[in-house]
Amino acid sequence: MKLSKKQNWQRLHSRFEPGFMRMLLLSVAIHVLLPAFYTGLLYFSPPKEKPPVYRVNLVNKPVKNPQAGRPEASQKKQETVKKTQPKASPKPVVKPKPKPAPKPKPKPVVKPKPKPVAKPKPKPAPKPTVSKADEQSLAQKIDAMRRQKEREDRIAKLKEDLARERDKVVSPVVDAPVGEITGKGDEEGIAFASYVKAYITEQWRYSPYLGNNLNLEAVWVLVYSAEGQLVHKKVIAKSGNRAFDDSLLRAILKSQDLGRELGEKTEFEVTFNLREMQN
Amino acid sequence: MQSMTLTRMFILFALVTLLATGCAKKAAMDDSQAAGGTQAVEETQMQEQQISSVEEQAVSDVAVAETEPAMMEAETLVRKLTRIHFEYDQYVLTKAAQDTLYANAQLLKAAPALKVVVEGHCDERGSDEYNLALGEKRALATRNYLISLGVPMDQLSTISYGEEVPLDMGGTEEAWSKNRRAEFTLQR
Amino acid sequence: MKNGRLFLVIVALLLTSLSSAWAVKIEISAPGEQEIPLALTSFLPMGPIKPEIAQEIDAVLEADLSLSGLFSLVDRGAFLSDAESLGLSSVQVDFAQWKLLGAEAVIKGGYRVEGDRLIIEARLFDVVARRMLTGRRYIGKLDEARRIAHTFADQVLLSLTGTKGPFSSRIAYISNRTGKKELYLMEVDGHAPVRLTSHRKIVLNPDFSPVGKELLFTSYKNGNPDLFRKEIYTGRESRLSHRKGLNIGGRYSPDGREVAVTLSKDKNSELYLLGTDGTIHKRLTNHWGIDVDPSWSPAGNEIAFVSDRRGNPHVYIVKLDSLEVRRLTFDGKYNATPAWSPDGKRIAFSRLEDKRFDIYTIKPDGTDQRRLTFGPGNKEHPRWSPDGRFLVYSLDHNNEKSIYLMRADGTGTRRISAPGGDDSHPAWSGHW
Repeated sequence: MKLSKKQNWQRLHSRFEPGFMRMLLLSVAIHVLLPAFYTGLLYFSPPKEKPPVYRVNLVNKPVKNPQAGRPEASQKKQETVKKTQPKASPKPVVKPKPKPAPKPKPKPVVKPKPKPVAKPKPKPAPKPTVSKADEQSLAQKIDAMRRQKEREDRIAKLKEDLARERDKVVSPVVDAPVGEITGKGDEEGIAFASYVKAYITEQWRYSPYLGNNLNLEAVWVLVYSAEGQLVHKKVIAKSGNRAFDDSLLRAILKSQDLGRELGEKTEFEVTFNLREMQN
Repeated sequence: MQSMTLTRMFILFALVTLLATGCAKKAAMDDSQAAGGTQAVEETQMQEQQISSVEEQAVSDVAVAETEPAMMEAETLVRKLTRIHFEYDQYVLTKAAQDTLYANAQLLKAAPALKVVVEGHCDERGSDEYNLALGEKRALATRNYLISLGVPMDQLSTISYGEEVPLDMGGTEEAWSKNRRAEFTLQR
Repeated sequence: MKNGRLFLVIVALLLTSLSSAWAVKIEISAPGEQEIPLALTSFLPMGPIKPEIAQEIDAVLEADLSLSGLFSLVDRGAFLSDAESLGLSSVQVDFAQWKLLGAEAVIKGGYRVEGDRLIIEARLFDVVARRMLTGRRYIGKLDEARRIAHTFADQVLLSLTGTKGPFSSRIAYISNRTGKKELYLMEVDGHAPVRLTSHRKIVLNPDFSPVGKELLFTSYKNGNPDLFRKEIYTGRESRLSHRKGLNIGGRYSPDGREVAVTLSKDKNSELYLLGTDGTIHKRLTNHWGIDVDPSWSPAGNEIAFVSDRRGNPHVYIVKLDSLEVRRLTFDGKYNATPAWSPDGKRIAFSRLEDKRFDIYTIKPDGTDQRRLTFGPGNKEHPRWSPDGRFLVYSLDHNNEKSIYLMRADGTGTRRISAPGGDDSHPAWSGHW
């Protein structure tokens, strides 16, 4: 009971096998090394914040020729170029044939007639200010309508391009992971990454007037099935700004169906910010 | 009498509010923010009260009795005092202004009973408040100069009208220079 | 044993780094569109049809919401059957239809007239999340459709941004429609102008009390430019300061307890703080130059003002505790009428440049100066909306003065005062 510190220490020692202390030291040393491993001090690895995937491949908008400029694909390049050449001409033929998306077209079909009738009806405004505002809004509407069309056309075109790309290009690596970190992912994966980026961007609506802070960032993990369906979504980092976070949720909910197959279940880590809107 | 109607209005209003909130509570909203509905009701009721008070309590019209038909003599005397003009954004008296003021000083000294207001004015360019202050500086510079010429202090008071009372609305350089002035009116 | 442990650690490390490497990283650094597609449906009758009521609500909501800059309005001509349905709960709304049209938000509502009461139901729905964002029932008088619509527009902004809109607040201004400059009050879109004074002399430069419906202004009613206070709804009016000389530019402190004002009782214009009883609490400036146009910082510890102490009129800032003065503007030959934004981050003012006054903003530390207005005419007297989203100012062009609104970034400019009179010196009320 009343043992001195030294006695205590000795008792502890005698209980363990002789090699224990060394093992303990080793373990401590490894633990100390652990953060070093993580920060990348001990082995060469690309810096974490800016993975090469983003820099090398994904910056570009929807890629028609994702391999352009990559040396390991250069011998394939000629092939692709050949194939993209005819693409320009058959386009007008291709477009009307396959109805690309379920979304864009039904509008004019459902209400072709009431449109010209409905518009002038609510307009007879008694006050001069009102009528002025109406004039403005009418122009706005037409403008909005046009933009909506353009947007839909863009998505449709995106899908078409992708379809063509997908049908014609053969992956050089048999089981290459999609959009691999080395930047050597097969062109299909790269194409899909930029497609997914473009698709979600297209769905995302955020007005600078929602708040006066453009220094917002949030990160989501989105898992899409091989069929292009969102099977799992998770926030990794919220921005803390409700309007911003809500707008992302809306964009992701609108991106539940990518409208294309991915060919493989894929996990995306999507960082949303407003960097392009600053200044 | 007025307070009577006021109290009556108040009671009436209180009743209306009670009624309105009562009704609103009965008609529950099917969505999750039913509480918001009743709150909104109160909001509008508040507005209603305010609006009616605006309309009913139109501003009382206290017209100031303008002129008293004496002092004809003084009026004619004051009219003999010539106005002076200033440079842009300046309240320093020009040579011409000093000469004019010398003549005015003689008139004032000859009629010690005459009480005069020196008005400072500006052209309409620039901030109104700044111009009020500038107009005052012009009036004061004028008064001080007259005093230095021997006009008794208590004969002269000052006021600034800033850019509010232009002589010429033309908006030209010529009009502006006309408007940058100090002039003399009868003190009432 | 040793090696085994090391191996395990390395394997664990590899596994964690690999699992994050599998995720394809994407950065999206701007939204596809910077406007939220909103479907604004016509309000439907919940009783007898009164098309003028629906039209009024439509027009006000459309004007307010488009001024906000937040939305692109979905073409009404493309609306499907749900726009005609009075289903106002989230289970009744056919969100699929709205989604088809690309709308992310939809406003629906109904109106009913009961005797002399107007009842308006208004809802804002999130089309994507399929839920109601805000729902309100308004009860007012028959002629209050406009006001209710403004109030709902405020509510829409509140629920989307967390900050209430300013559309149901008021703007006070000076107009000479009677031949004399008098004080007026109007709605934010210029409707329902009311004259508040009949001084028949000169009334100048109004400012709203932050608490209570009260205005400060200067009037020559009693001959001298005195500072007046007026309760808007009772019409009660009193003189707050009638010291000899100028009593101008009265501005309530953010807590409403003090008034900054320019007095020239000592033969030179200086800034003072008055109590609400009119007594002098403190003298803020002491300089032979002109010191005018005070504007409080929202924290209430500093005041921006205009002074010509270095020659030309420029904006300066005085600290209220130490009375230390620093210069804010250096460019231009004439800077005037500063107005501190409600969030404290910027100060708007007007500057003479190329023989014309335009509105600028600048940070209180003197950096990041921006010009907001362009085009012909002099733009002066900027004032912020209570939420800081908008600026109101007066434009003097072709010998006519009128009042304009714009967003705080200078976009969305529109005239709000009616033609046919000189209207100037706007002051924006707090939330009404």
